[in-house]
Amino acid sequence: MRRVITGNQAVAYGVILSRVDVISAYPITPQTTIVEELSELIGSGRLNTRFLKVESEHSAMAALIGASTGGVRCFTATSSQGLAYMHEMLHWASGARLPIVLVNVNRALAPPWNIWSDQSDSLSQRDTGWIQLYCENNQEVLDTILQAYRIAEAVRLPVMVVLDAYVLSHTSEPVEIPTMEEADSFLPPYRPEHPLHTGQPEAFSMIATPEHFMEFRYKMQKAMEQVPAIAKTVDEEFRSRFGRGYGSIERYGEGEAEVLLITSGTVTSTSRIVIQRLMERGVSVAGIKVKRFRPFPSEEIYEEIRGAKKVAVIDRNLSAGVGGIFAQELRASLYSKEERPQVFGFVSGLGGRDITPELIEEAIRCTIEHHRPEEEILWLGLKR
Amino acid sequence: MRKTEIPVSENLGRGHLACAGCGAAVGMRLTLKALGEKTVMVFPASCWSIIPGFWPYSSLRIPVVHAGFVTGGSTASGVRAALDIRGDHEALVAVWAGDGGTFDIGIQALSGAAERNEDFIYICNDNEGYMNTGTQRSSATPLFAWTTTTPVTRPNENPKKDMMAIMADHHIPYAATATIAYPEDLLRKMEKAKRIRGTRFIHLLSPCPPGWRIPSERTIQVSRLAVRCRVFPLYEIENGISYTIQEQSRAVPVKEYLKLQGRFSHLTDQEIDRIQERVDDEWQHLLRKARC
Amino acid sequence: MAKQIHFNKASEMPDVSTSLGDMDWNKTGAWRTQRPFYEDKTPPCSVACPVGNDIAGFIQKIAQGDVEGAWNLVKEENPFPGVCGRVCFHPCESKCNRGRYDEPISIHGLERFVSDFASSLGRKIKKGSGARKEKVAVIGSGPAGLSCAYHLTRLHYEVTVFESSSFTGGMLRIGIPSYRLPKEVLDREISEIETLGVEIRTGIPLGEDLGLDDLRDYQAVFIATGAHRSRGLHIPGEKGRAVLSGLDLLRQINLGKHVRLGDKIAIIGGGNTAIDVARSVIRLGKRATLLYRRSREEMPAFEDEVMEALEEGVKIRYLVNPIRIGQIDGLKRLECLRMELGEKDESGRRRPVPIAGSNFFIEADSVVIAAGEEIEVSFLPRGMERRDGLVLTERDGSTGVKGIFAGGDLTSSQRTVAHAIGSGKKAALAIDCYLRGKDSEEAIRQILIGEGPAISIFRYLHPDERPRSPHVVTFEELNMDYFEPSKRRREPRNPIKKRIRGFGEVTSTFPEGIALEEAERCFSCGRCNECENCYVFCPDASILKREGIFSRQVDYDFCKGCGICFFECPRGAISLQEEAR
Repeated sequence: MRRVITGNQAVAYGVILSRVDVISAYPITPQTTIVEELSELIGSGRLNTRFLKVESEHSAMAALIGASTGGVRCFTATSSQGLAYMHEMLHWASGARLPIVLVNVNRALAPPWNIWSDQSDSLSQRDTGWIQLYCENNQEVLDTILQAYRIAEAVRLPVMVVLDAYVLSHTSEPVEIPTMEEADSFLPPYRPEHPLHTGQPEAFSMIATPEHFMEFRYKMQKAMEQVPAIAKTVDEEFRSRFGRGYGSIERYGEGEAEVLLITSGTVTSTSRIVIQRLMERGVSVAGIKVKRFRPFPSEEIYEEIRGAKKVAVIDRNLSAGVGGIFAQELRASLYSKEERPQVFGFVSGLGGRDITPELIEEAIRCTIEHHRPEEEILWLGLKR
Repeated sequence: MRKTEIPVSENLGRGHLACAGCGAAVGMRLTLKALGEKTVMVFPASCWSIIPGFWPYSSLRIPVVHAGFVTGGSTASGVRAALDIRGDHEALVAVWAGDGGTFDIGIQALSGAAERNEDFIYICNDNEGYMNTGTQRSSATPLFAWTTTTPVTRPNENPKKDMMAIMADHHIPYAATATIAYPEDLLRKMEKAKRIRGTRFIHLLSPCPPGWRIPSERTIQVSRLAVRCRVFPLYEIENGISYTIQEQSRAVPVKEYLKLQGRFSHLTDQEIDRIQERVDDEWQHLLRKARC
Repeated sequence: MAKQIHFNKASEMPDVSTSLGDMDWNKTGAWRTQRPFYEDKTPPCSVACPVGNDIAGFIQKIAQGDVEGAWNLVKEENPFPGVCGRVCFHPCESKCNRGRYDEPISIHGLERFVSDFASSLGRKIKKGSGARKEKVAVIGSGPAGLSCAYHLTRLHYEVTVFESSSFTGGMLRIGIPSYRLPKEVLDREISEIETLGVEIRTGIPLGEDLGLDDLRDYQAVFIATGAHRSRGLHIPGEKGRAVLSGLDLLRQINLGKHVRLGDKIAIIGGGNTAIDVARSVIRLGKRATLLYRRSREEMPAFEDEVMEALEEGVKIRYLVNPIRIGQIDGLKRLECLRMELGEKDESGRRRPVPIAGSNFFIEADSVVIAAGEEIEVSFLPRGMERRDGLVLTERDGSTGVKGIFAGGDLTSSQRTVAHAIGSGKKAALAIDCYLRGKDSEEAIRQILIGEGPAISIFRYLHPDERPRSPHVVTFEELNMDYFEPSKRRREPRNPIKKRIRGFGEVTSTFPEGIALEEAERCFSCGRCNECENCYVFCPDASILKREGIFSRQVDYDFCKGCGICFFECPRGAISLQEEAR
């Protein structure tokens, strides 16, 4: 079924098609229409789902930790302050190895108050042990949620699915909505290895001393290391069933390119047009869309950029004191490689400022024109 | 129920790490005797993150979910939801939180759960301070008490928060106070709570020998005196309005209670008088509530 | 028993920190610096009981609803619970720790209840198996003699009791009026002794029909002939007509003989005999006035009896000392002196001192002298030492003559039933030791109740059962938090009018329900009654129940030695000692 829906509605459909058992959420702009849509859908009896309308995001995640320990499939959605407030529990969910899926609608962190798109909220949770998947369009949002449960349940790690505020969340696009049967055939019911059970006197999430703690973290890392292969299998299976696939990254633009532009989220859609135009004008440029931020697809990106001289990264986020976080991660991943292109780290579009085709072109030109970046942070579209 | 009829089942196994004379260990034993094996217990951070044992061991013979400090009310809501979804309506969900996890950091999650009338028993194991971290003040610490953050040069200036009143105002079906010196009463209340659906709140006072500066053998006596001097009256509140007091035949001056505890050893006669006045006022207040 | 779990590699470990085993391997007993242990101690009532009754023990049985068990327990030490429950002066009650809290337990009332209840069920004491070849003769069938015979029989000896008079029971029968001790109760308990196999031969007085030579077949002899000779006042006129001895009068009344008395009786004396006489003659429709030379406070008669006597109309004149008994117009005329109290004498009581010139007269139809009793010595074998009107014995009742033991009023100035029963029991033990060639002093030392002097024959027979520390539990060692104030139950008492119309019992036995309530008042000092406080309050679940049954065992593998069980034991039945490491 093809329908014109917003990104947040796509989230809701993804959740329904995943047959989520327990939802626990707290409203925050611009996530609100997700919980509204879900409430409507549950209210209409289309889902056998418990929706806990909790009193905070912290409780939302805590409730899911309880429910997921209880062995059922769980979902929540939030944004910005809400995600930050959840922070403690994000660690808890991954430490407890619970396959919870969370949708974060990217929004800037206050102050000043700002409700528009900015990736700083999700990226500042990069060390929480969550898998992070960034989406470019509403179709991808829906599809990624179905894939997220497959990955999460396979490696016993939680997954954060991320989409841009307004540009996706409140913008309608045509979306192919799978049938329940199709979704079921892709995503089987959750069969936890070891759920809580009365009569089975086990204590979950216990204290562990220095004798054991480190091994648990090692195992968590090992689980993360399984993600690329598993995500690939899942994506390929998805493609074979639905004819759509995303990969952990996507390269677009043909042939050898002197400059590669790295983006995530909806900036990628704009970049596709800019790069198409520049290529038509003979500029040697191609694009890379990074879908999976955690675990960071270092090898996949390296395979694409190893021949290139220069890489431009547009970050819609800021780690103050360092710069854009994608650029930072990329630089770190390249350090041990033999062929290391120059990384031009652009910071742009904070707090929902538009990243226009002109700005993207400016970034590419800047990269072409300079042998190396003049500054660690290249501010794009800033009123200096 | 007579004392000799208390169930023999032991769901707090031996070898646990509670201090000698731990009031909460007595409370846990008795509580589990009442709640039985078909109970899932949620432990937000407290002494009970440690007492049952370190991984890979647990001395509790029921399923247990350790949880974040803040999250007693919310984690339990999720556990309940999962069990309901799985069709396990027989399993009882209980929270065992400290006073810090209830009065202070966990009050939001508890309030949210109580307002939603989540189906679980929330037990606040109140030892009147942050005892696991070495006796710091909480909002459950009584007036003028010594703690490591309210030294005798400046003892606790604020009276204890009235948690029962707060819970009553959530109009939950059942709230009750209990303490270990009255095991028959404690078990009766736990069993009563077990039969009710919705949020049930048990405020369980558990004296703490190291934190209260009492000899380990005095735990029960101090618990008993707390009731007899009306610092901690035993009562029940149904639906937030109907109060029943389990009155004690032998009321004693609050001084009898205070003098046993090192945390009050610095008190002047005037301070003791002020505590007595407060206790008397609160008792009258409780009596008025019980009458209407 | 769970073991410790070890992991050498991450690959062996699970992904999450979910528990895999219990903490049973963690022996928290190693933390302990002090060790609690169950130790039954000695309650003060038992120490005060001259008979050596296991008082807390039998009361506990009543409280458990096991009256038969209570009776068996009482009978282990005392063949006369029905008698003692009625006439003993119950020193146990004055030492009862509950007296410090509200009122002492009615121990005598419960003992009486147990005896009457068991008899109403037709219970009989079972004789243990076994027989010894030695035979023992007992002279006198009073409480001392019969107690000795009873216990010797239970020690498997063949016992013959020789009684000089035609009836059994000695002073119990002739000295105690039936309004205090009905004859049926006495008969019942004596017949229980006979049923055990004790042969009682009446009408054989020692010295006349029975010489020591006649007892050659007996390897040991216990002499308990009592004190049946009334002491005189040594004043002019006391040998006159209508001047009677108190004991003689009681004997006649108690044996149902007709007595000729005037209407107005003056009784000289302040002891129990005097009170018994006064109350008996009141029941014969006479008027009784007691003349006592000291004040109420010094009176040796038991307080309750004095109270009842006054209720019944007995007049008592204190600080009056008759110095001559004269006679005018058929009336006795007693010349008396008024007295005042001076310094304390050797008995600790204030000495009465005559007030010079205070002479006055009291008139009466009859005068009864009840100034105490003395022992008869004429028939006693040579070689038995005597002093101050008593036969001298060792602690175990042995006399200077080999194989001859003595007890009861013959050897003691404490002329009570309980002392007599106690001395008979001790002699039985001593005779057993003598016949077996054992050290009786050592045997007594082993079975003293507290520091003594009373002994437990049960412990002699069963040295390994029911061990008891000699430590006597004080009031301060009890935990009063577990006891609510509760009035002492009183035995129903007949109205005075009914009482003085005859010799029916003044009080009646507790009904079962009341006895149970009274038994539940007992603190059970130093004696675990399985209240289970220790089990309930143990933070470490280290008080064991085995298959649901309370076991009075501490699991020292896990007990952290907090001391809660010790402190919360209501009755001091748990001790705490420093852990030896």
